[in-house]
Amino acid sequence: MLGFPVLTALIVLPAIGAALVVAIPRTRPEIVKVVALAVSVAVLVLACYGLYEFATGTAGFQFVSRHVWIKQWGISWHLGIDGISLFLVVLTALLFPFALAGSDAHHDVKAYTAWMLVLEAGCLGVFLALDLFLFFVFWEIVLVPMYFLIGGWGYEGRVYAALKFFIYTMTGSALMLVGILALVFIHAGHTGHLTFDLQTLAREQSFSGSTARWLFAAFAVSFAIKVPIFPLHTWLPDAHTEAPTAGSVILAGVLLKLGTYGFLRFGLYLFPKVSHDLAPLLLTLGVVGIIYGAIVAAVQRDLKRLIAYSSVAHLGFIILGTFALTTQGVQGGIIQMVNHGLSTGALFLLVGMIYERRHTREIADLGGLQKVAPVFAGVFMLVMLSSVGLPGLNGFVGEFLVLIGTFISRRWWAVVAATGVILAAVYLLWAYQRVFHGVPEGENLKFPELRWREGAVLAPVLALIVFLGVYPKPVLDRMEPSVRTLVERVDRQAGTHQPSVAQGGHR
Amino acid sequence: MLAAAGFHVPNLDYHALAPEIVVAATLAVVLVADLFLDDDNKWLLSNVSGWGLLVALFFTIELGARGHTASMVGGAYVVDDFALVLKGLFLVVGYIVLLMSANYVEEGDYYEGEFYFLILCSLLGMVVMSSARDLITIFVALETLSLPAYMLAGWRKRDLRSNEASLKYYLLGVLASAVMLYGMSLVFGFSGSTLLVDIGKATQGTITHAPLVTVGIFFIAVGFAFKVSAVPFHFWAPDTYEGAPTPVTAFLSVASKTGGFVALLQIIYIGFIGRSDVWGPMFWALAALTMTVGNLIALRQTNIVRLLAYSSIAQAGYILVPFAVAGSNTKSIHSAFTASVVYLLIYAAMNLGAFTVVIAVARKTRSGDIASFGGLYEYAPGLTVLMTVFLFSLAGIPPLAGAWAKIFVFRAVLDSGTSSAVALGIVAAVNAVIALFYYASVARVMWMSPVPDGDRTPIRIPATLQAALGLTVLVVVAIGIYPQLFAHLGDVASLVR
Amino acid sequence: MTVPGAWFLTLAAILFVVGAVGLLVRRNVLVMFMCVELMLNAVNLTFVTFARMLDDIGGQVVVFFVLVVAAAEVVVGLGIIVAIFRRRAGATADDISLLRG
Repeated sequence: MLGFPVLTALIVLPAIGAALVVAIPRTRPEIVKVVALAVSVAVLVLACYGLYEFATGTAGFQFVSRHVWIKQWGISWHLGIDGISLFLVVLTALLFPFALAGSDAHHDVKAYTAWMLVLEAGCLGVFLALDLFLFFVFWEIVLVPMYFLIGGWGYEGRVYAALKFFIYTMTGSALMLVGILALVFIHAGHTGHLTFDLQTLAREQSFSGSTARWLFAAFAVSFAIKVPIFPLHTWLPDAHTEAPTAGSVILAGVLLKLGTYGFLRFGLYLFPKVSHDLAPLLLTLGVVGIIYGAIVAAVQRDLKRLIAYSSVAHLGFIILGTFALTTQGVQGGIIQMVNHGLSTGALFLLVGMIYERRHTREIADLGGLQKVAPVFAGVFMLVMLSSVGLPGLNGFVGEFLVLIGTFISRRWWAVVAATGVILAAVYLLWAYQRVFHGVPEGENLKFPELRWREGAVLAPVLALIVFLGVYPKPVLDRMEPSVRTLVERVDRQAGTHQPSVAQGGHR
Repeated sequence: MLAAAGFHVPNLDYHALAPEIVVAATLAVVLVADLFLDDDNKWLLSNVSGWGLLVALFFTIELGARGHTASMVGGAYVVDDFALVLKGLFLVVGYIVLLMSANYVEEGDYYEGEFYFLILCSLLGMVVMSSARDLITIFVALETLSLPAYMLAGWRKRDLRSNEASLKYYLLGVLASAVMLYGMSLVFGFSGSTLLVDIGKATQGTITHAPLVTVGIFFIAVGFAFKVSAVPFHFWAPDTYEGAPTPVTAFLSVASKTGGFVALLQIIYIGFIGRSDVWGPMFWALAALTMTVGNLIALRQTNIVRLLAYSSIAQAGYILVPFAVAGSNTKSIHSAFTASVVYLLIYAAMNLGAFTVVIAVARKTRSGDIASFGGLYEYAPGLTVLMTVFLFSLAGIPPLAGAWAKIFVFRAVLDSGTSSAVALGIVAAVNAVIALFYYASVARVMWMSPVPDGDRTPIRIPATLQAALGLTVLVVVAIGIYPQLFAHLGDVASLVR
Repeated sequence: MTVPGAWFLTLAAILFVVGAVGLLVRRNVLVMFMCVELMLNAVNLTFVTFARMLDDIGGQVVVFFVLVVAAAEVVVGLGIIVAIFRRRAGATADDISLLRG
């Protein structure tokens, strides 16, 4: 491996960028924007370099960087990347320049940009950390900038939404901290050495069944709030609706993935047996989320809120795939994370553009936009169809794999979940129809067409949506070994076997 | 005749007593100099006091670096690592309080010389307390630190609220002393000694289960519960904190409370370590009540000082948690002790920092309402960031120091491992979330609310306050990122081996 | 004839309780001070009795410290009361209740 610490640089670079932004005088917002874009693009380049250098066909962690941080406690700066986290890192690195370029802060650009870059460092840290303590630190770091972004630059109900978001996720974090400490100290009690290292802890499983169940519960609640899984989702519509556009993009595109990623990396990996035992519960909650999200989305009057609820449904699919505990299901879950990040991120950006033009998000106030802004409508249509899961676009690949994976191991859940696909088509197409079809009247007549700059920002995402829909193999190939190892680990620990169909997947 | 009674002149190690001697000399100088200085030159006194504390701190560090230990007057006065670490803490806290008060006292309508004199007196009591290993010494040290504090609480003597603060603090303080003394008398009666070491032997031996010893331990613990403002003995604290001048409030909520905890640590872990059956459940209830009640009442405060008062009550609850879970085995005793000490050290830095920001902001707004912090970010971004750091550290968000304080507490809970300990751990975790609510609310007001009166003139922060802010934030961030150095202090300071 | 030590201890306990109850029940600040004194003297009596019973001089030494501290406490307390008297006429604890919440 190369000497250059790519992963450390991925985290440190945005942090340095934030410091730079803070150092720029408040009177020069244009420099702030250039610096922030340059930094986030540099991060993207680094991430792509990682993607390029990533050794396909290897299950273990790559680019590992490890330095002792706090010796007595066995805490180290331990970063690594594998097939599971690789694409989430790339997605994060892609969405930040996308969000920064795609929308402007309406005041105090400097603080806004600094918070965004801190957020980027935190998100990347969460995906890269292989040390429980380090993971927790980044997990918490993510919260603070998001809280200020929603509260400082959001819409009318922003302060309430920010506090709700903060309290919800913090409750989860407190539980997770207790879980992490309990895990580590119980492990230390059995083996005599204190360590927060994820791999060591997973290797030396040292707790009884009931303890493991409690520990898993502590982690699971925290992740479930972040995802969010059905009964814990109430913070999401408020936070999404009130957040500034870039905040919504990052919230939907990256932050929600922290929870689903957490389930894979810490839930399944650390507690394989419990994950297997509790899978029916989580599958059920996932399916409930799919149906519930779809129904509630269908009756929304606010376009942004509709997309927020559609996220609840999409995340339900990811949970379904994850807890199907088959290679296809988990792969589908991961690729669906990327898909959802791209399509929902783009949808939020488009809704943000609509709001900038019309100063409303009410579906009833819009109409006939297709006539005045055909290109804009076309882009919206493409992104929305990706979200619906139309074959040929990326959303299809994810949902298809998830449903196959679930069908192999848990047939009935897959059957119920499949109705969610239809519901998604219903509410999204109906929303599209109300907003873009018909005859434009009043303000809608003056709806400006997509600008070049906006198009340039959206173009890479649209290209990826199509590319992943047509040719997902490179992505699947890179994540397959890691996923297979993880699923086999769960099977081994739980004493079950995958149905032979699942083994015969493509290689 | 003295010789006949077997009296020997005690062999004092003056080098080991250097910090105490320096503080005592400084306060004498301040008291005398105050008589001869006219009003224009009173500022000299704060400088003299500050330098005195720095010299005392130098000696403390020097003693610690050389590993100098001493046990005097038959073990009643001991200078060891524990004593030195806490002396260092008290001196630094005292220095920061001086920095906080320099402008406050000078610009307000206060007696200056006496103010510094009393602060130094109280600090002397605390420094002595760190070494006191005998019931009499502890009692004298406690009174030395409390009596000046009663007067300081009423320092705005033309303000009825300050008078009231002082009176409430005084009445409950002396009640606590009396209760504690009565407990001490009972313990003395059954152990036959006032030395903590002897009491420790006695309570592990024959008299273990005499009911009056139980009563004695109970009374002593109740007395200290008043001093550290544990629920249900906390009612004086919010009123006193609100009525007292703000630097004094900071001093009371950090130094005075730490003084009480230091005494409690020594008494419990040396004197009564064999009787965890008595104090274990008691501290369990105190800790759970203190955290919960403190946090719940803090939720509905509208005055920032009162909010910090209730928050500091709740923080005292966290410091009590290790006491409650210490009893089960040697390992848990050790980690509980370390947890309490580490928490005290970190708590001092973050709480002083928060109070310093309150003082700085009040220089402009002249108000203690949380609403007056509205839009602080727009005209004082630096202060806002600092206050956010302190509040989030108090809330226990990593990577700030407060997170480590809580992690040490949770380690103590898990090392104990009993079901009651785990239950208390859950209470503590729930409370951490409740606390977050009001800390985040203050942050929200500062960052997101509009400026209440539209006055956006920047705040001029005097150099002394800047220094206080710099010191505290440095500690909070440095410990957060690199806690080894600091955890080492906590380990070194252990009284239990 | 010697009175057994237990009687002194009982007396001290009664004095202590009287003082404590008085402090909590009475509202006149001066009377409250006196109650504190009563409690401290109960403590003194206990210490002296135990010192006698144990034949240990330490307990009697404590009494000197307690006396000195009690005197200092009274000085401070009276100072606070004087400060309040200057501002208002009475010294009833219930009247002094600006701070609540």
